[in-house]
Amino acid sequence: MNSVQSLIQPQFLAQVGFVGIVAITFAGALIAVFPRDILYNVLGLIVCLTGVAGIFVYLGSPFVALMELLIYVGAICISIIFAIMLSRPLHLSLPKRRLPKVGLAMGVGAVVFIALSTIIFRTAWEPALMRSNDWSVTTLGKYLLTRYDLVFEAISLVLLVAILGAIVISGYARRSPS
Amino acid sequence: MNSLYTYLFIAALLFSLGIFGVFQRRSLIGMLIAIELMLNAASINFMAFNRFLAPDPIVGQIYALFIMGIAAAEAAIALSIIVAVFRRLRSINIERAQELRG
Amino acid sequence: MTSSWFQDPTLLAAMLGALLPFVSFVLIMVFTRPYPKVSAAISVASISVSLVCAIFLLSSHWHLEHPIQYAGKWLISGEMYIPFGFLLDELSLLMLTIVAVISFLVQVYSLGYMAGDPGFARYYAFQSLFAWAMMTMSIAPTMLQFYIFWELVGLASYLLIGFYYEKFSASEAGKKAFVMTRAGDIAFFLGLLLVLLNFGNLNVLDMNSVDVTARMSPGLITLSALLVFGGVIGKSAQFPLITWLPDAMEGPTPVSALLHSATMVAAGVYMFARIFPFYSNSASAMAVFLAIGTITMLLASTMAMVTRDIKQVWAYSTVSQLGFMVMGLAAGSYFAGVFHLTTHAGFKALLFLCSGVFIHEYETNDMFEMGRQGGRGLKIPMVCMTIAAAALSGIPFLSGYFSKEAIMGALANMHNPIWLVAGLLGAFLTAYYSFRLIFIILFPSKIEKVHHAEHGGHASGHGHDAHHHAGLYWVMAWPLIILATVTVVLGFFQTPLENFLVGGHHGSGHGGGHHAWLPWVAVGLAVSGIGLAFLEFGRKGASQVGFVERVEPVRALFAERWYMDHFYRLFLDYVIYGIFSNLFTRNDRRVIDGGIDGICRATVGGGWLLSFLQSGMLQYNLMVMFAVLALVALYFFF
Repeated sequence: MNSVQSLIQPQFLAQVGFVGIVAITFAGALIAVFPRDILYNVLGLIVCLTGVAGIFVYLGSPFVALMELLIYVGAICISIIFAIMLSRPLHLSLPKRRLPKVGLAMGVGAVVFIALSTIIFRTAWEPALMRSNDWSVTTLGKYLLTRYDLVFEAISLVLLVAILGAIVISGYARRSPS
Repeated sequence: MNSLYTYLFIAALLFSLGIFGVFQRRSLIGMLIAIELMLNAASINFMAFNRFLAPDPIVGQIYALFIMGIAAAEAAIALSIIVAVFRRLRSINIERAQELRG
Repeated sequence: MTSSWFQDPTLLAAMLGALLPFVSFVLIMVFTRPYPKVSAAISVASISVSLVCAIFLLSSHWHLEHPIQYAGKWLISGEMYIPFGFLLDELSLLMLTIVAVISFLVQVYSLGYMAGDPGFARYYAFQSLFAWAMMTMSIAPTMLQFYIFWELVGLASYLLIGFYYEKFSASEAGKKAFVMTRAGDIAFFLGLLLVLLNFGNLNVLDMNSVDVTARMSPGLITLSALLVFGGVIGKSAQFPLITWLPDAMEGPTPVSALLHSATMVAAGVYMFARIFPFYSNSASAMAVFLAIGTITMLLASTMAMVTRDIKQVWAYSTVSQLGFMVMGLAAGSYFAGVFHLTTHAGFKALLFLCSGVFIHEYETNDMFEMGRQGGRGLKIPMVCMTIAAAALSGIPFLSGYFSKEAIMGALANMHNPIWLVAGLLGAFLTAYYSFRLIFIILFPSKIEKVHHAEHGGHASGHGHDAHHHAGLYWVMAWPLIILATVTVVLGFFQTPLENFLVGGHHGSGHGGGHHAWLPWVAVGLAVSGIGLAFLEFGRKGASQVGFVERVEPVRALFAERWYMDHFYRLFLDYVIYGIFSNLFTRNDRRVIDGGIDGICRATVGGGWLLSFLQSGMLQYNLMVMFAVLALVALYFFF
């Protein structure tokens, strides 16, 4: 038991957990991107987002991780599923994939990835000199309603407008001749 | 292992996958999903900077929250557009939506 | 100077006089074209004001000491400085007055002549345009301004000659006048450029000063003088370019009176006089001018001897008299040329206006026809025309006598007697052809008693119509009477005019003493010309066939204008159409059209190619965008 305990160090466990979470993330991402059936894609997205939430936990913010689960998985993904149900008859045949296009997309993706990694590894990242250690949700809430008040309200307004816009767009679409 | 580079690298990979998805998918919803991936990569970046570099660890979290808000707004709009496009074209295949073709 | 323009009566008068006709032109063209009466009123009113201004200027500057010059900056390019404004000296004041008087009389006369014409308003608009161009040209301080308005005069004359544009021959004549004067104007412009480049200045006063000889070599002066004289040749219908003027008689007769006797063609001679000191720097150029003037005068006189068209006779006579003026100027007598220009403007306008009455009355240009229909019944025009013809022939104590004697005197001063002989021969021919016309109308071989014969005094009216007609007749008659008076009395102003123009210190241009025989010879020749005309056309039972007309080849030669038009035709056919036109056509088809077509095709093709980029494929667009962004990032971080 002791040996097992010594074998399974907390550090080691954390490492394994991290690798596992990253694996989940990428597996989800791959499922979200590759299969042709959209429903699988959404499920993949859900898996991926869950993994991202785990990464957020590793980055020291369980609050944001929870919000991620709540908003992304709980709201956005569900609404996407709704949209799929509304728009695409599942019994229709799936569109075929065209190889040149996939190749091109892969090429561009690779170029972007290379560019990004170049930037990442060529930049000398300097941490700030004075770093506070206050990660509490209380401080976060205080900041949101004091220093970032304006941004907070702006984002609320954006959301409101987006919801109204969504209603208007689908409303017009219903009236349009088709 | 648990360093800034790891997280940035993960984010970059996720972002590239998103880009690949956006380019390769034919259905609008598939593209939307890929865009969500890209947005998530961006928030991972913010959270990583927040964790390793920023003087005040609150800022990055707030950014991540805002990105979620933006993503929600974007999803709402995009989905309504998709529904509208589907009503009009009886399809959400992006390659059919080419009325501007020269 | 410009700030106080409204306080200076001279400048005010000059501006008013020169600009009002332009205002009237614009007003008529823009606003009042549908209303002929209003248009005519505007035009006549503006030209009357101009006339008053011109007379005011002439009388207030009768004892002018220095030329008055007003100029505003107009064009500055490096070292060159070209002003725009007015130059008032003796010559320009005289010319301004002549133009204003003749324009005014012609416009009044046209009230009768053009009455009821559908283009009445347009006619007055063009008359105003012409008056503006001509008056501004007269008082131009620089040769560039002179040239600009010179071309405007050409434009106005084109419009007026082609006034009956529905008539093919009229529009052809307008074109011919325009193109042939243009040929001379090109030379004129080249000459001006030559002066500008070598002398650096086109100011009239500077060109007339002695600086020219200091700054330009004699050969250069001769060349530029010859080139500038090209403008005179074109405008005044001198030797190689004679034939447009007779053709230009297609316009309304008052137009002929205005353009082709008094003002427009006189512009050429005026230009000669304007920069006379410049020309006289080059003796060889002057000799060329003298020869050209002489040839023109003799050729045109012979042509006038055979034509049956009354207006053609006066047109040829104009050409010949212009040649005579050029002779006088080229012989070195500045005053004689200008004086003849002045008197000729008076009596030639009178001749045309009289002819206009006949043409209006009998609706024919044929003098035999006029005589047959009782032309002598029209008393006032007949008398006036006889007076004018006598003046043209140089019968003593009419204006033409004095000016002709002045030129003859100048010619007699030349070493070579051939010029004098040519001048005297011209005088004889002039008397012959003008009185040939008079006698044909006055003593027709048979008179047809048609109703036209009653029109003389309009004693027996035809009701309202005749009454109206009589009104028009008097509108036309008054300018005739005024001009006839001018013709009779103008000659006696020779001495004051000479003092005014050359300032007296020059001495009289023609030798009074040592050429005492000259007036007798000249008058004798004129009288014998008239006598010959009387013998052949006037006396009872005359055959009415001139001595020239008896010899068919000569008659044909003269009537065909020495076959000059044929030479033009040949020249055009072979040189212009055959060589230049062909080459230019090819250039046009192959190079220019091909180039433009190529550009068009390239544009369409390029658009077609580019349109593939806009595939409507959102994803490809995005792909390119991201790829470029990524590459830019790579570029900056490597």
